[in-house]
Amino acid sequence: MNICDIMKRNVFFVRPNTSVREAARLMHDEHVGVLPVLDMEDNKVIGMITDRDICCKVTATGRNTVMTTVADVMTKNVATCFNDQELTEVAYLMASHQIHRIAVLDKDDKLAGIVSVDDLAHRSHDLASTVLEASAAPAH
Amino acid sequence: MRVFELMSKQVESITPQHNTRQASKKMRDMNIGSLPVLNDEKLVGIVTDRDLVCFVVANGSDPSSIPISNIMKRDVATCYEDDDIADAAKVMQQHHIRRLAVVDHDNRITGLFSIDDLARGSHKLAGIVLEAAEAIH
Repeated sequence: MNICDIMKRNVFFVRPNTSVREAARLMHDEHVGVLPVLDMEDNKVIGMITDRDICCKVTATGRNTVMTTVADVMTKNVATCFNDQELTEVAYLMASHQIHRIAVLDKDDKLAGIVSVDDLAHRSHDLASTVLEASAAPAH
Repeated sequence: MRVFELMSKQVESITPQHNTRQASKKMRDMNIGSLPVLNDEKLVGIVTDRDLVCFVVANGSDPSSIPISNIMKRDVATCYEDDDIADAAKVMQQHHIRRLAVVDHDNRITGLFSIDDLARGSHKLAGIVLEAAEAIH
């Protein structure tokens, strides 16, 4: 089975110049914990921002949530996969990068969807648990 | 298999009077995503990194001025160290959550038991909990 069969297609995203407060609002309103960051011009994925990034890099440091932009705190060079990759292959990629969610790209390198460890669980308990186990720091 | 074989026993905590900025610092420094909230050593709530983002940053509040008591979840799901992991998994599944506070019989916290811990004990149980959870992508 390919990853495009289980990925979520309607993905909320932000731009690098979006404020952290706006990103937080989107995470709250849309019940998501991660937002891909798309380049203004070519729409390529240039990073990801998570609720944890905001907690550790903004709330903990006392930075202003309106003045601080997504580009300031996002994780760059994130792992991605392609929509024609096998489920197992993607699960091992997630495990090796110790991530629970991964952006899925189409053949033009554009964002096609996102896959989480939850989505994997609906197909394979073993693959999903392999990803969970790989997390270095337990996600308490 | 019992919960104590897999749970994490090093538990950082915070009080209801601390502010949310202090909580986020602690989560960053200790590399953790949640903190049990203790009042006189008694478990009164739990707060996560996501709560800070959704209930403080999203509405423009100043993290230094919001006490943990304003945003903590008061209804904390718990289990005992000597519970079977299948029973603990069932609690996670029913409450749609991914971590439990482990308490002793005086309601004093002795650790945390997360779905990651569960996965080390049983892929099947962890998979079932994930499937039941409301996905936060």
